[in-house]
Amino acid sequence: MAPPARYCVPGERLCSTEEATAGSGTYTRHGFIFSSLAGCLERKNEDNELPVVSVVRDSESQLLPNVGAVVTCKVCSINSRFAKVHILYVGSTPLKSTFRGTIRREDIRATEKDKISLGDAQSNYLLSTAENELGVVVARSEAGVQMVPISWCEMQCPRTHTKEFRKVARVQPQFLQT
Amino acid sequence: MAGLELVSDAGFRADGRRPDELRKVRARLGVLARADGSAYLEQGNTKVLAAVYGPHEVRGSRSKAPPDRALLCCRCSSAPFAGGGERRRRPPQGGGDRRSGERALLLRGVLEGAVLGQLYPRSQIDVHVQVLQADGGELGASVSAAGLALQDAGVALRGPVVAGSAGLAEPPAGPPVALSDLSAAEEAAGGPRLVVATVAGSGQLALCQLSARLHQERLRPVLDAAQAACRGLHAVLDGVVRASDPLGDTRTLPWPQ
Repeated sequence: MAPPARYCVPGERLCSTEEATAGSGTYTRHGFIFSSLAGCLERKNEDNELPVVSVVRDSESQLLPNVGAVVTCKVCSINSRFAKVHILYVGSTPLKSTFRGTIRREDIRATEKDKISLGDAQSNYLLSTAENELGVVVARSEAGVQMVPISWCEMQCPRTHTKEFRKVARVQPQFLQT
Repeated sequence: MAGLELVSDAGFRADGRRPDELRKVRARLGVLARADGSAYLEQGNTKVLAAVYGPHEVRGSRSKAPPDRALLCCRCSSAPFAGGGERRRRPPQGGGDRRSGERALLLRGVLEGAVLGQLYPRSQIDVHVQVLQADGGELGASVSAAGLALQDAGVALRGPVVAGSAGLAEPPAGPPVALSDLSAAEEAAGGPRLVVATVAGSGQLALCQLSARLHQERLRPVLDAAQAACRGLHAVLDGVVRASDPLGDTRTLPWPQ
């Protein structure tokens, strides 16, 4: 039986920054590492560097989408300039409340994912599909049947055999579930 | 000072406490299942319920979302059956009146110093506090309950937030005595009332509110009494947070005896 994990509260001083590096759920001040959450203390030993100290709560604390994260979202409205989406998952963790995002038309492309320019002050999350693994995962044709991808930019409906243009995501086989 | 004698000759207050003694504290985390974090706090006969929702996307106008930190929305209200000490012509209006607005503003100031808002940019954290029964010290209890609810919600904090109040009694015979944790009767007696909030037990004040007048030479003992009240409350609430073991089901724990 593993020894009981130490439970710590916010503001509790854990150790100094010379003994470990601060992980999630902690903050540093005056050369010491303090806890910022009420949870279990975890110490991970890295081989070459200092151990990482973090505080973990059992229920996933609210995760926010941050820059560079891969998210799963559902399109809720489309027009000729952009598509509005609901962000459902960040990585593989589901969000408790969905966030709104926007995919601009010029950001649906194959490469150059760093070239998003903000222009005016945006208050929505801006998304891009500029990588091989990013793009449309599930789509339904006008007949209501789930479409099958043919190439990186086309999908075909198995019933009516019409082709429609989508920027298809090349999902790794281990993530596909039939 | 006419009317109620705050400290008797034997050194006891009207409710039997010593001048530096706090009222009985009971607290419980996770009392609301739908909220992300919640806490219930009793200090004597004052009962306060706090709920935290968030961090989530900013509702309403998106332009209010600060780009580098979280937006804190605090709302304080008083239940219609809460009482409130003195007789009021109008019952509490449930959060829209001026006293609740002022309390919400003070609460927001305290929490903005405690919450590590840089970790949640462009998001909103809602804090709702409702006073279920008012018997003195509602502002302090609201702040402490909000601090507990934030810990229950898993919002990153610099440290636990606790608040305490203190006043001054001037018995006819003897030196002035500082009183910790005023009840409603002692507040209504008309003496000065100092409410103080600290973060992380660091001794630094996140909130300092004084009502009525106080001579500057008397400030030091009253301030010390208020900070001692904060430390005493922190010791109790610390135990409550640690006892809420996430591996067990806290909702079935018996009420602390």
